[in-house]
Amino acid sequence: MEENSNMTAERSLEIITKQIEQSRRAVSKTTGQSLYVSGICIMCTAVLVPIINMITMSQGMIGLGHLLWFALPVVIWLLSRKYIKDREHTPVSLVSSMIAKTWITFGYFGIGFFVIAIIWGIIAPRLLTLSEYATSQIRVAPVIVLLMGMAITITGHILRQRWLVVFGIVAGLLCFAWEHFHVGEAIVMNLVSVESPVALTAAVINSSLPCLTIFIFALVGLLLPGMMLKKQSV
Amino acid sequence: MFQPLDPLLHSELRLAVMSLLVSSEEAEFSYIKEQTGATAGNLSVQIDKLSTAGYIEVEKTFKGKMPCTICRITPVGLKAFEDYVKTLKSYLKVHKK
Repeated sequence: MEENSNMTAERSLEIITKQIEQSRRAVSKTTGQSLYVSGICIMCTAVLVPIINMITMSQGMIGLGHLLWFALPVVIWLLSRKYIKDREHTPVSLVSSMIAKTWITFGYFGIGFFVIAIIWGIIAPRLLTLSEYATSQIRVAPVIVLLMGMAITITGHILRQRWLVVFGIVAGLLCFAWEHFHVGEAIVMNLVSVESPVALTAAVINSSLPCLTIFIFALVGLLLPGMMLKKQSV
Repeated sequence: MFQPLDPLLHSELRLAVMSLLVSSEEAEFSYIKEQTGATAGNLSVQIDKLSTAGYIEVEKTFKGKMPCTICRITPVGLKAFEDYVKTLKSYLKVHKK
């Protein structure tokens, strides 16, 4: 581009449009890549957690796989640094920073809530009776899916994608109700009797049901929007 | 009566730089160079002009051991860009009639 001051109004407008569009594409590309990497990481974790739970359950360690969720932010950060090469030079736009802040806020609340639930899960059985503990137990999955639904809805609003907004609201509320009222567990327990030899497997399935919900959320809320943004910016 | 176009913005490269910065919070020199396709020397001169006018602020920093120049649009620059686009629109309206 040269230092030319004899431009027509049309040429000026063309330059403005071209540069804004170019910048928007570059930003969309890296935002899309970030969402894509995060989506894949969350989906892989949602698959690995039940597998580890199943392997370790036979050794008497229940729910050990859920510790993987703590490693997730670090893995996402490391992979983003390694694979998103353009990120270093791409400017921060309002859209990309709003999406990043939305998901970082989700991360703070999600991990914070998870930690509180684990600490309470360790302390409460020693302080309370079994019946008291049953009523005061903190269940992580319903709140996580609700928070995730909110984050997806906000992302949809920022990206102006109505389907994502609708998905966030509907899936967030439905999955909250599904998890809160133990619908999945009730179905599994109705299919498998407690005395049967597969009761242990049923218990593993029960503890893994929230992972399935999170897998679907990561697919629709992160991976698909990420692919969409990457495609739009080509 | 037409308003005159801001002579500082009415240049291909300076206008391209301002258009890039309008849509982002800040941008590195290397990114602007890549997007505009300008030479480093020419771009440096134009950025200096915009900076002297108070349209952008330039921060010289380091990324590891490599020097890094970051440019940001200022409120004055944003206002000048808005006025430039408004004037441009009035030109185009008359032209269409």
